Amino acid sequence: MSELGKSGQSGSILGTRIRQRRRELGIRQSDLAGRIGISASYLNLIEWNKRKVAGSVLRRTADALDLTLEELDGAAERRLAGTLIEIAHLPSLSGSGVEEGRIDELIGRFPGWARGIDALARAEQDATARAAILSDRLSNDPFLGEAIHRMLTRIAAVRSAAEILTDYSDIPPDRRDRFMGIINEESRALSDAGEALVTYLDKAEDTDRVMTPLDEVEALFEAHGNRFDAIEKAGGEVGGRLADSLTDSLPLSRAQRARTLVERHMKGVIERVAGVGDAIRTAPGRHRARRALTDYALGAVLLPMGLFAPRAKDLKYDVEALADLFSVEVETVCHRLTALSPEGGHPRFGYYRANAAGTIIEMLGLSGLALPRYAAACPLWVLYRAQQSPEAVIRQCAVFPSGARYVFIARARSAGPTGFGRPRHYLTDMVAMTETESRRTVYGPDPSARVDEVGPSCRLCPRASCIHRVEDPLLD
Amino acid sequence: MVKRVLVAEDEPNIVESLTFLLERAGFEVSVEMDGRQALEAVIRDTPHVLVLDVMLPELDGYEILRRLRADRATRSMPVLMLTAKSQREDRETAMDGGADLFMTKPFSNADIVAAVRRLAAGRAE
Repeated sequence: MSELGKSGQSGSILGTRIRQRRRELGIRQSDLAGRIGISASYLNLIEWNKRKVAGSVLRRTADALDLTLEELDGAAERRLAGTLIEIAHLPSLSGSGVEEGRIDELIGRFPGWARGIDALARAEQDATARAAILSDRLSNDPFLGEAIHRMLTRIAAVRSAAEILTDYSDIPPDRRDRFMGIINEESRALSDAGEALVTYLDKAEDTDRVMTPLDEVEALFEAHGNRFDAIEKAGGEVGGRLADSLTDSLPLSRAQRARTLVERHMKGVIERVAGVGDAIRTAPGRHRARRALTDYALGAVLLPMGLFAPRAKDLKYDVEALADLFSVEVETVCHRLTALSPEGGHPRFGYYRANAAGTIIEMLGLSGLALPRYAAACPLWVLYRAQQSPEAVIRQCAVFPSGARYVFIARARSAGPTGFGRPRHYLTDMVAMTETESRRTVYGPDPSARVDEVGPSCRLCPRASCIHRVEDPLLD
Repeated sequence: MVKRVLVAEDEPNIVESLTFLLERAGFEVSVEMDGRQALEAVIRDTPHVLVLDVMLPELDGYEILRRLRADRATRSMPVLMLTAKSQREDRETAMDGGADLFMTKPFSNADIVAAVRRLAAGRAE
């Protein structure tokens, strides 16, 4: 097994944590062993990660150390270890001698520093995502486009006049004065243009994360951690009425019945949820939020969390197997995966839906995974090529220029009425997860799996030799 | 023979600098600050080199270039395009449209004079 796998999956942090906590509490090893009911020498082996600890011994250890089981054997540390492994693999850290093999020790001995490193990496990812949004804006905002054009023109005038004054010593006084005047005039105009630009960007500061109805909906879901308890509760009640259709052989009929129930009984709760907080600010945003929450409610009715979550874990989040098991469409499962709680030990999933034109029409994004809404997105994402193989689930292992690794699974499906001689229109559903978390799913790549180099968008991607580039990078 | 250069540019301060530089380089310079008049002047005066800004009022630089290349009389006129846009697609639009050279603002005086000299001499390499 690779070092990566060992760190990500073993419980080797546990012994270090027990030792650390015991020392914090000032308990002697032999005293703790006595309280737990094991020998001091066995506890010593556990503390040095040479013996595994589980079951009642683990529970007694947690009690003796005044910690919950979750705190002692928490998934949080394993997730943190996974993140730190990803950080260790960042190209920017190559050559800096990061001791990847000692990540468990770092988390065990210096949990604050470990979380701090994680927080810094997340902040860097957020900054990249934010830069992606600003890059989009730069490409598409008419005010910015015009402002930058004016500024470049004025800089050209200043530079040219300044060079003339420097390079030509024999300029007649009247022309010299004229060029001095140009520099003065254009510098002032440039200063005004810069100020206007700063004012504009300042005003946009609190809205630049929420610029489109799609962003509004994403902000709403993000604010709720992709989970709406009120809808879950109402969905559970409404779902009982589906029971008599559980034996339907056609999933569509069950889905249609669920949709009817949602529209008949859950409109109120959907409206209430959409109105909570300030994420939804515009009429198109409200319209889109209703649609997204209706999809969510459908998931709550068809895939009640109490049943879905354990089966999802059992089946390692296999979207097709889950769709079969619950007699629902694959896309319903894909959407529902995002509602699984990471606190419940599930991977964190992102969900994207695109039409044939490549337009993102629904997105419950993963933090740090930037996908441009209306600028040139990277065409190398599987999201944009799944329609070459409709109905098949296609996996892509993707590495970004930052070194971040994700696993995407995408599936194109026919949408809308079809029939002989009628055109088929496809939508693509895509689920995203970090490569580390993908190892807990059936989609976890083996070491020989092909890894595609992708980017967030051309503007943010430094891969100079990419033959699919359509725009120059923002920064070289 | 003194070579004639037409500068089609609507920014007076840039026009002032370009005129000075090109005159010092030995060219006879005329100026038009709107696209439609620039096109008329090109057809009327057939300058040796046209320095053409993309963003012109009335008729933009791309459209002027398209019309020049569609007309047998002006098809081979050397054109240096200027723009404050540096996107690859802008460069491609200009070069696909038949521009001989493409320069972005802010430019260096030496570069722009050298470019006009090359075009006037019949070389765009």
